[in-house]
Amino acid sequence: MRLVHWLLAALIPFSWWSVKNHHTDWHIWSGITILTLLIFRLLWGFVGSSTARWADFVRGPRAVLGYLRGGWRGTGHTPLGAISVVAMFGAVAVQVGLGLVAEDEDGLYTGPLAGLVSIDTSDAARDIHEQWFYVILGLVVLHLAAILFYRLRGQGLTWPMITGRARAAPGTTAMRPGKWWVALICLAVALAISRWVVAGAPPFSPS
Amino acid sequence: MRIQLVAATALVSLTAASVAFAGLPKTKALAIMHERHEGMEKIGDTNKLLRREIISSSPFMPAIQSGAATIAGLSVRANGWFPKGTGPELGKTGAKPEIWQKPQDFTAKLRSFQAAAQAFNAAARSGDMNAIKARYADLGGSCKACHDSYRAEMHH
Repeated sequence: MRLVHWLLAALIPFSWWSVKNHHTDWHIWSGITILTLLIFRLLWGFVGSSTARWADFVRGPRAVLGYLRGGWRGTGHTPLGAISVVAMFGAVAVQVGLGLVAEDEDGLYTGPLAGLVSIDTSDAARDIHEQWFYVILGLVVLHLAAILFYRLRGQGLTWPMITGRARAAPGTTAMRPGKWWVALICLAVALAISRWVVAGAPPFSPS
Repeated sequence: MRIQLVAATALVSLTAASVAFAGLPKTKALAIMHERHEGMEKIGDTNKLLRREIISSSPFMPAIQSGAATIAGLSVRANGWFPKGTGPELGKTGAKPEIWQKPQDFTAKLRSFQAAAQAFNAAARSGDMNAIKARYADLGGSCKACHDSYRAEMHH
């Protein structure tokens, strides 16, 4: 879970760097790896540890307001942080989806699913893919600003994200860790789906 | 055919060289830049069509042959696309100034593109799919080799 986070934190800058420096092949593989991580995280959000489960940490607007008024006690993502998680997950998922069907300006590189759409769609996907990066960049900046904000208020978030250990406020229930073999199954499924996508998603791939 | 090509190449090179030597009038330079842009775009668009045919499990050979001939023809025209004075100092272009700073390397890369385009065209006419795939990969490599050094990002 934390590994997924740090891999994303490394792969998103790497994706940007590689495509700006004529390593489009690395860029594509970086995107495929991100796809695998997203699928894993999606599944882990249903069967993983208590703090990772979508149903457990994604709350409605009332919970967010309650949190802002200081009435929230718990471990893991706060109700406000949950919005950030969902937004970043969604934005990266959109970016990967666009990349899968995009092609470069010269037609030298195509995403593995570009054959499923027309050339015009593929070119349009590239244009949006380029602009959508700024949406992700904005969310990352917001994410870092929030971390800095909590740090200034005396709550370090970075170290717990590295070690997995945080001081729980009194009266909160501790997290329930996920099972390692469930994680392994999620990873296997994520890898299998990614491989299928790399193969052009048969039987839908162009004849 | 080959002799005609060589003759055309020589003629275009000569024209380009003499024009560059005389100093290029602005309207002429802009016209060349426009032709270059259209030509490069046509090569790119043709390449996109070719790529889809070639990775398809049932490629349509006439489409491959026509695309290969288009690129081979345009590759020869490219001899006249880069005279001095048609760089970013004159107008919006994806051509980097390095083209005219390292003319020997640039010309070598242009020649290798032209050779790859001719070889791909020959493979397409033979109809041998394995040869087509191999020469197509070479062609893409020659585009990339030159673009990595000499083409700037350009949005239009």
